[in-house]
Amino acid sequence: MKIDTTVHSGYTAISIAGEIDMYSSPALRDTLLTMAKKKEAIVIINLKDVKYIDSSGIATFVEALKKMLSYGGKLKMAQVPDRVMEIFNFSKLDKVFDIYGSIEDAANS
Amino acid sequence: MASKKNCDKVTVSADYLRNIEKKVEDLETIIEVSSIISSTLDYNKLISIVMEKAKHIMQAEACSILQFDKELNRIVFEFAITGQRVTSNALKDKVTLDMGQGIAGWVAEHLEPVVIKDVYLDERFYREADKLNNFKTKSLIAVPLVGRRGLLGVAMIINPKDKSHFSDYDAGIFQTLCVQISTAIENSRFYTESVQMEKFRQGLEIASVLQKSFLPETPIFKKGNLHVSAANIPAEKVGGDIYDFIEPVNGSIGVLVGDVSGKGISAALYMAKIISDFRYKSKMIEYPEVVFKRLNTGLSNSPMGMFLTASYFVVDVKTGHFSVSTAGHPPFLWVTKSDVRVMDIPSGPPLGILSYEYTSSDFSLKSGDSLLILTDGVFDAKNPKGERLGFERLVAHVKEYRQKETLVQAIIDFVNDFSNGAEKSDDITLVELKWQ
Repeated sequence: MKIDTTVHSGYTAISIAGEIDMYSSPALRDTLLTMAKKKEAIVIINLKDVKYIDSSGIATFVEALKKMLSYGGKLKMAQVPDRVMEIFNFSKLDKVFDIYGSIEDAANS
Repeated sequence: MASKKNCDKVTVSADYLRNIEKKVEDLETIIEVSSIISSTLDYNKLISIVMEKAKHIMQAEACSILQFDKELNRIVFEFAITGQRVTSNALKDKVTLDMGQGIAGWVAEHLEPVVIKDVYLDERFYREADKLNNFKTKSLIAVPLVGRRGLLGVAMIINPKDKSHFSDYDAGIFQTLCVQISTAIENSRFYTESVQMEKFRQGLEIASVLQKSFLPETPIFKKGNLHVSAANIPAEKVGGDIYDFIEPVNGSIGVLVGDVSGKGISAALYMAKIISDFRYKSKMIEYPEVVFKRLNTGLSNSPMGMFLTASYFVVDVKTGHFSVSTAGHPPFLWVTKSDVRVMDIPSGPPLGILSYEYTSSDFSLKSGDSLLILTDGVFDAKNPKGERLGFERLVAHVKEYRQKETLVQAIIDFVNDFSNGAEKSDDITLVELKWQ
């Protein structure tokens, strides 16, 4: 898994590539919790190049989401690949995360 | 022949003889160290003896060993012997060096031994260790300790007692000793790791037995016309899948099937908490959506974002009427004599994430009908090529074998055949509710 963080005006984008599973999610957790600690207002996760996500990976996003909601921050998902979207739909996580077609849509919403 | 015998007589100096004697003694000590190494795996004892021997053979005032901490990418003082005492406490945890820092750091970085006549003339020398140890280093030999898995640390022999600095011969002897010290360190590490692994394995065995005790005593349960059978196969020794049968109110049976996010020990511990919460919070309540609301509140402060996907059925054992609530759990299958229906009923998000008003759906079973509730491990099973079984393929199989008496076992056999020995990536749980 590869994590790439870029700071933009009004939001921080985190692009993830590869598989988010039990073994790789601790690195992602560090990145997201650092954002939450700094009380970042808007974090947009770009999932375009994610090949697979398991429930440990999803729990990592859930933890970050809960932490960010506690101070009024927003965690948004963008460019979710079909395979990942299937998992989100199946688990009704589309009711949990704000999902957008593109980074621009997520930033402008 | 007589003249040849005379030629064999050689006169040597006393110095030469002393030199030879010293070399023989050195070799004997090296052999002795070698036998010590194969006699014990107690790391602390071993290193103390080996260092003492090294100090003796090298006629040195002090000897120290620094260990390489791979995670920190630093080297740390582990042992130091000066005079008659082991002074590891004076330096341990107090002196750590970056790669390249000090003479030891330089040796660790370059993986090359060094012989230094006067350390105070060498700009690499780190003086802090001398201050902490109340010792004055003059001359030293530092050698990298390298094992099969790479750098282990650095060994240093300090201040010869009988001369101003160490010779190349001394460096050769110390390097030979260091090969043995490396073997000793590596052997004892392998041993410690294997002991730890064994302890961990035993702990897991106990955890596995304990976890099974949280599940119903028997995977088969019968009440009225309702016949329940279940199977639970964790991917590892312990897992995060749940199933439970309870009798919440007279004449009703509650069946919970759930899947905790993650796998292994953390999921198993969380599963144990959830099952206790569930048994407490479902008592006297015949509405699954109310149980889910109560469970969801209780799990809202879940650690590390952990959550539970679940389906909860409450079946009236007299009429076959049932209510079901689902929280992010895969659809269940309704198996009739003529068909298999995928029951994708309105579902809320998994439990433990956000506040939510769960709903329930109501149905009635007919004689011969079965409900099949499963966790995603069943259809996420992979074959040796890495292909997943998939929900559609599973449903097609259930359609084909729906008349089987032991549907749960037939599906487990099918999943096992598909996996064909490939490592299980997730826990598998299947529960069949059959209305006879």
